[in-house]
Amino acid sequence: MTTTLPRLALAAVSALTLMSSAALAQGTTFNIWWFEGAESAQGLTWTKALEELKANHPDVTVNFEQKTFDQMQQSGSMILNSAEAPDILEYNKGNATAGLVASQGLLTNLDEAFTAEGWDKILNEGQLVLSRYDELGVYGSGSIWGISTYGEYVSAYYNIDAFEKAGVKVPTTLEELTAAFDVFKAQGVTPLALGGASTSGQHLLASLAYTKADDNWVNNYQGLKAPLDGAPYLYAAQTLTDWLAKGYITKDSTGMNDDDAALQFTSGQSPVYVSGTWNLGNFSANIKDFKWGQFVIPTPKFSVGSTGNLWVIPKGSKSPELAREFISLLLSTKYQTEQANNGGVSFGADAAQVTNPVGANASAVFKQIADKQGLGFYPDWPVPGFYDVLNQKDTGLLQGTLTPEQFVDEIKTVYDDAQASQ
Amino acid sequence: MANVGVLTGTPAKVARPHARQRAPMRWVVLGLLLLLLAFTLFPFFLALINAVKPGPDYLRGGPLSIPTSIQFDSIIKFWGQADYSRKLLNSVIISASVSVLAVIISLFNAYALGIGRVRGSTIILAILLLGTMVPQESIVYPIYWMAKSVGLYDTQLAVIIVLAVLQSAFGTYLLSSVMSTFPREILEAAEIDGASRWQVLTLVVVPIMQPTLMVLGTFFFIWTWNEFLIPVIMLISNNNQTVSVAMGLTRGQNMSDPTLQAAAGLLGIAPTVIFFLIFQRTLTRGIVAGAVK
Repeated sequence: MTTTLPRLALAAVSALTLMSSAALAQGTTFNIWWFEGAESAQGLTWTKALEELKANHPDVTVNFEQKTFDQMQQSGSMILNSAEAPDILEYNKGNATAGLVASQGLLTNLDEAFTAEGWDKILNEGQLVLSRYDELGVYGSGSIWGISTYGEYVSAYYNIDAFEKAGVKVPTTLEELTAAFDVFKAQGVTPLALGGASTSGQHLLASLAYTKADDNWVNNYQGLKAPLDGAPYLYAAQTLTDWLAKGYITKDSTGMNDDDAALQFTSGQSPVYVSGTWNLGNFSANIKDFKWGQFVIPTPKFSVGSTGNLWVIPKGSKSPELAREFISLLLSTKYQTEQANNGGVSFGADAAQVTNPVGANASAVFKQIADKQGLGFYPDWPVPGFYDVLNQKDTGLLQGTLTPEQFVDEIKTVYDDAQASQ
Repeated sequence: MANVGVLTGTPAKVARPHARQRAPMRWVVLGLLLLLLAFTLFPFFLALINAVKPGPDYLRGGPLSIPTSIQFDSIIKFWGQADYSRKLLNSVIISASVSVLAVIISLFNAYALGIGRVRGSTIILAILLLGTMVPQESIVYPIYWMAKSVGLYDTQLAVIIVLAVLQSAFGTYLLSSVMSTFPREILEAAEIDGASRWQVLTLVVVPIMQPTLMVLGTFFFIWTWNEFLIPVIMLISNNNQTVSVAMGLTRGQNMSDPTLQAAAGLLGIAPTVIFFLIFQRTLTRGIVAGAVK
């Protein structure tokens, strides 16, 4: 130890000096972060747009850092509240994230940029709902604090080959959907893959609830405006237990997470899987054995979905002009088209130029939903911690430890508590 | 002759049932150990086969299927995306510095508390032990503010200081209890020879405690290596981040890439395993040394 200690101490000292070499860059730099995967439609498109920005400004040093979702969730507000914040970054939408930092005054107000940069000609009010946050950080009204350049929605992925083989056509009503399930069931196939313990479980539940939901219900629900009217959820819970009893969903799905459920779909065991557009990239790249498509779960108006994560400009951004220019690039027809061609959900793609059928379809479906103001958002949004509550109760429902009535009672208790105490 | 035959025969007959009894037991134990080994190695095996499995293979057959072909794309992709060489270097720098620093702090503290006579040393130890039980989540925010106000936010130095202090709390407790049983005769002999306190520490205590210190250092290294929350909060720039933070790259908001995750897992455990193999002997020596004395 007497000989090794000094040596190790020396190593430690040299290590300390290494650390202090934090780059103090000179001249104009543009720091940009995002956490979408490098191979997602967004990641691919944004990388390309950033190349163009670089080419337009050869005098600027562009530093891009690929962040992780976890990191931004854990320490997003701390980063934004420090001198280490970048000039522009992708930030998770919603009250608990973007809303919080907006209300803390950590972001640049984009009201002026919105009209000055012409973003108002591309985005409609429906696509801005999650860009606006009031003084309390609640979305839906107030100033614009962030801009989303893509959409996302939950739909049913289906195995086209399996549907054709079974002679089933794409359902347009809930009755047709259950009829399709019956056909598969009769052939000994479990038709629906479901991650009961995970996101896809609660998204299916919400999709079913939205079949009985009107504007008033969704507005109240998402806005935490009144005690929960449990009727749509009761219908959803009853339908789900009914599907389970009929064998449309396997009993194993109670403990299944989304990765496993997706695996049931991609391996061809189950012909239908209800989940979000974030699967598009993975499915496009890796499903080689069969053709697949998407259909929206038939609801009168609302679908589970929203605009994507936001581009926000921190208060301390040193290059807000470049940041605005980057957002403009992403909203331009060129990069919206590019995004659709990468399999993403675009707002303003030039349909004639989109050659990727996946992106073309997804963008068209999103437009349909957004145009009728049918984005119902996600079921866990209104109440902090509701995501875990829904997963838990959803699992109880599938296990049979909760009846549909008990299920509704229990989520209503949590919801109403939050509603009353706001 | 017959007698001899009987004589030689009986022990053999007596011995045989013994051997027979022992043999099945041995096999049972061996079997159990093999089973245990299989259980232990199974995650490594899973990480390995999925790391080299092509994506479509995974989507067809799931995590347990045997890959139809072997590809290193996931590993190369993760290495590139995460800038893994850099992360490795960072992790080594941080873990080594923390382990050295924490051992030194623990040693000094324990020398005072375990060998020296400090009033209320039991209470101090109890407080230190309580300190190790405080969940990190609850101290993250104060640490963040302190680091920010002294300009150490987003530096590895901040992580090194914080983790060295946190871990030396446990180290102090452990070393103090070991040192309180330190043979007084040796210390007194040294004092009679005219050794100063510093000389007693460096020339008497440290050489005798060396195996224990090495074990402590090894544990500190591995704990720091696996540390996630404080590095993820304190190290913002990708260039400062550690291996455990880089693992997060494989998990997106709604999606994860299983083969990439397996590759990351494999690359993540490899250094700890290698480190363990190198220091395996130190570890056993330290434990044995502790047990005998």
